[in-house]
Amino acid sequence: MTFALGAAAAARLRRFDLPILAALFMGLAWAISLQRATDFIIFCIFVLAYDLLYGHMGRLSFGHMLYLGTGAYATALTAEHLSANPLAALLAALLAGGAVGWVLSFITVRTTGACFALINLALNQVGHFLVLVAFARWTGGEDGMSVTFSKIGPFDVGHKATMFGLALACLVAVVWLLRRLTGSPFGILLRSIKQNESRVRFLGYDVVRAKTLAFVLSTALSAFAGGLAILNYAYVTPSFIDTGRNVEVIFAALIGGAGSVYGAIAGGVAYMLISNFLPNYVQRWEMFLGFALLVMIFRFRAGVWGSLVARFGPRRAEGA
Amino acid sequence: MLLQVNDLEVAYGRARALHGISIDVAEGERVFMVGRNGAGKTTLLKTVAGFLAPTAGTIRFAGREIAGQPAEEVARGGIRYVFQDKRVFTKLTVRENIEIAAHAARIKLAEAIERVVEIYPKMTRFLDSPAGGLSGGQRQLLLLGRALLGQPRLLLIDEPTEGLAGGAIDEVFQVLEKSKGKVAMVIVEQNLSVVRQLADRVYAIKEGRVCSEFRDAAAIADPAVLEGVL
Repeated sequence: MTFALGAAAAARLRRFDLPILAALFMGLAWAISLQRATDFIIFCIFVLAYDLLYGHMGRLSFGHMLYLGTGAYATALTAEHLSANPLAALLAALLAGGAVGWVLSFITVRTTGACFALINLALNQVGHFLVLVAFARWTGGEDGMSVTFSKIGPFDVGHKATMFGLALACLVAVVWLLRRLTGSPFGILLRSIKQNESRVRFLGYDVVRAKTLAFVLSTALSAFAGGLAILNYAYVTPSFIDTGRNVEVIFAALIGGAGSVYGAIAGGVAYMLISNFLPNYVQRWEMFLGFALLVMIFRFRAGVWGSLVARFGPRRAEGA
Repeated sequence: MLLQVNDLEVAYGRARALHGISIDVAEGERVFMVGRNGAGKTTLLKTVAGFLAPTAGTIRFAGREIAGQPAEEVARGGIRYVFQDKRVFTKLTVRENIEIAAHAARIKLAEAIERVVEIYPKMTRFLDSPAGGLSGGQRQLLLLGRALLGQPRLLLIDEPTEGLAGGAIDEVFQVLEKSKGKVAMVIVEQNLSVVRQLADRVYAIKEGRVCSEFRDAAAIADPAVLEGVL
């Protein structure tokens, strides 16, 4: 027996996706804990930012921790030296991520494939060195730094429920934004660039400008996730910009299904569930993650979400 | 003249592909280029479209020098290139394939779809299907439909009927026929039957040069004349 959603039912479901998403994360918070669910949400925002570049535009970056770390340190340094207001610190993260992305885009966006991936990795390594050694006087080097945020009226981000609510509101806003963006002509443009960049130029598009915009958006949102993480933890260490952790976001995007807003969230949650709970039962849990990825690549290439859509999504007519 | 190519030379590394070729195209004129494989026909189209930079010569389009301009600027100036390989964006739906061209041409999606459907009414059935599922003929019609959006002044079409079955060739033929006088075209074509029926003028290309030019309708319609120069 087969079951497939009709196009109208799928469209109805999509209309209510944001409340459904919020309800699912509230359920998750109830099932695990507010603190962990907040971690999950922040990681999902990072995966969404990463997937804009990888899933939608086809640029695999091995150095996106640089942008998450930029946001993390921008938030911490803003709180320390400029304003302890958490929203001001978050805004600083967003702007810092966008600014760093824009400057680095002059090097990165003209490259493709392995070159793009490795240039980002190299830049990430430079950023890690700067935080760890060159700017250690301000960043606290290996020890990192603790951060204190002020209250905004009755709201205190040090309170778990408040932080969860803020993170969830941010996730809903990011999902709304990316869904609008990827469904717009700009989103179609990114997917066309992923498939054949030179053909897009023959339609009259300035491909470099489109790629720069997507790159800057991705870095700014990654930094935003980094800023939220600092609001959640109230401290920052070089682990937030560690090149070795890039694999986390890549795995999450692959597991969930690259090129889909919902796939990025599914991947983010799946990765966090594996990395948070599997170590309780399996000593070398990373090996399991490797096997899981192999299964995904050979059996479910479209990822969790892509496979679900292929199985239950609306059917499409084929050309003759 | 809408397009004037003078003494154009193009090289792939040390290998010269075009040796001082000159052609011209008037507004609304349908100019065909015939010649053997490797004669330089596709190289000429790619150079006019901005994909290749010439080593010498000029390309004037609507009174403006465009040689060496990037492809996106050439396209924005009103020149559209339909590639030989009939590659659409296979992972996008047909509707999205039309939308990306409509957005570039600054016309509304509904109007763009209407114009593509005018060319090929059956396309309505495939609008929400991935374009990768279309047949070769349907892809070519989609590409021609997209290229005609936003009133371009010149179409460069590379072997539009290559690899197509009889019925599909007829449909492509109809599109080219209906566009007569509305937009200028430079068409590379090996199917001499199509050339004879549609051409206003024919250039025969050999080893990167124009070896003959046919303006006379009777000469173009004569099977022996075109076959004689190949």
